[in-house]
Amino acid sequence: MNTGFGQNPPSPMPAQRTYTCSWCGTVSDGTALSCPSCGATINVKAIVNPAGWMKAPGRKDMAKLNFNKSVCQIEGKYVPVADFNLAPEDGVYFAHHVLLWKDPSVPITMMPLRGGWKRALAGMPVLMTQAHGPGRIAFSRDAPGEMLALPLQPGHRVDVREHLFLVATHAVAYDFFQTGVWFTTKNGDESETHYPLGMMMDRFSTGNLPGLLLLHASGNVFVRELAPGQAILIKPTALIFKDSTVSMHLHFEHPNSGWQLWMSWQQRYLWLRLVGPGRVAIQSAFEPVEDDGASITNSSPATRQNW
Amino acid sequence: MAYPQSPSTGTPPAQAPIERIQCQWCQGINEKTALTCQFCGATLDIRDLVSESGWREAPRIRDMTEIHFSRSTCQVEGEIVPVAEINLAQGDAVYFEHHVLLWKDASVPMSVLQLPGGMKRMLAGMPFIISVAGGPGRVAFSRDATGEIVVLPLHPGMELDVREHAFLLASNNIGYSFVRIKGLRNILFGGQGMFMDRFITQNTAGLLVLHGYGNVFERVLRPNETILIEPGAFLYKDSSVRMDVQAQQLTSGLFGGTAMSLALMTGPGRVGIQSMYVHHVTE
Repeated sequence: MNTGFGQNPPSPMPAQRTYTCSWCGTVSDGTALSCPSCGATINVKAIVNPAGWMKAPGRKDMAKLNFNKSVCQIEGKYVPVADFNLAPEDGVYFAHHVLLWKDPSVPITMMPLRGGWKRALAGMPVLMTQAHGPGRIAFSRDAPGEMLALPLQPGHRVDVREHLFLVATHAVAYDFFQTGVWFTTKNGDESETHYPLGMMMDRFSTGNLPGLLLLHASGNVFVRELAPGQAILIKPTALIFKDSTVSMHLHFEHPNSGWQLWMSWQQRYLWLRLVGPGRVAIQSAFEPVEDDGASITNSSPATRQNW
Repeated sequence: MAYPQSPSTGTPPAQAPIERIQCQWCQGINEKTALTCQFCGATLDIRDLVSESGWREAPRIRDMTEIHFSRSTCQVEGEIVPVAEINLAQGDAVYFEHHVLLWKDASVPMSVLQLPGGMKRMLAGMPFIISVAGGPGRVAFSRDATGEIVVLPLHPGMELDVREHAFLLASNNIGYSFVRIKGLRNILFGGQGMFMDRFITQNTAGLLVLHGYGNVFERVLRPNETILIEPGAFLYKDSSVRMDVQAQQLTSGLFGGTAMSLALMTGPGRVGIQSMYVHHVTE
């Protein structure tokens, strides 16, 4: 009978070490230098300012992101490159103008899109291209900024402002929708409709499988989690993405002044008002919003404040 | 037979081993105590950043790094839009496209490089005049966008082709010419324009400084190895690398399809690309 007496005691089970990424929530064993899903540096505390904005995580150059059986390596500092090593069963889709280089053996084909005419009218890319493994393919954009890795958990949905999308894995479904954010101005006999956020927004969602979404933002990226009912005003063109649970509408502010100049009643600040719950991300380099100061004759639902 | 002995010690003088560090970027040989390569400014105390796909990042040149060429020096200043500040010795000179000149000592004399084919250059949209600044004195150069300065010391007998308008400066012992890009398809859809700058060294080494938009990566292609790159991303290549245009046909039922032109680079030799490329509209 084996009593175990005189034998070496069984070695204790090693403590299960886990690390939860503060950026994407992925749980790993924390032995790597960076999060395997989004590349965020491990053991560096997320930088949060008193207002609640969190700076996008630092990422070591050449950080590797794993998805399914493939790997994405992020290279460079000013205009980062996403360098994919696609496994045979994996694929990605992208707007064709972000392709930087590829192995000659990697086939690229068109991805069918609905509503091509609407996209053409809205100035969005009409063509979406896709590439399949095996092989290597790399992407980058044409402006200095940060590459934002968003690993999407099953059942997740995010809305992204137009022209910021870089590449997504095939597990991420793509759709687009009308922003519903607009106003019309009248100058003499001329009437003009403005879309401060663009006519359309991209929507990315996952079903039962997780996926990886990469965005390229101009300048630096900051993210904030809004509580239910909590509101924040941002410049419309600074928006990168929001969880689809976050609602949005226009907000006009008219500043007060001790004495009014001629036509100064037309001075106004045009904001996008975002209401939680959910995440909101902004970029620090953004285009000025077109607003000629002409009289607003109509708009999508909006709030106003006169100071 | 006994070797003659040193009268002072009685033993033959021992040759101490000479330790040197070879720069992984430009292959220049440096003193073992050096932290940065004196020929290209690359840091010697960190490993090259090479991706799994074989692209090597151009070395991040530390702010205020000094690079030596001939009897002159080049100091790289700043990080977002770096400046190359040249301290020219008497007898040394650099040439450059006039729009990259940032500042100079009032005493630095300027002249013009004699170029053949001026009319061709003008028609192709290349600078008609290449300026020359001679020493002694200081002169500084920068470009108009975020990017990296790429220092390429050219060893004797090298030939390098550079995308037009991408070169910042070259020392005057480097020969300059320009080559017409072969093939109408290459010119129309290749995105490089009609000409490329060609830099050649004969018997003496020289310094070539480029500015790449965004980040710069380099890959060494083996003989007949190929890679497809976005034409606007091309920055430089060894003249042994062949460049062709390959159209990627993309078809769609609704819109009939389109063609995307990519540059097919075939080795052997180095290829340099920039990550913030000039985008060229597809057909």
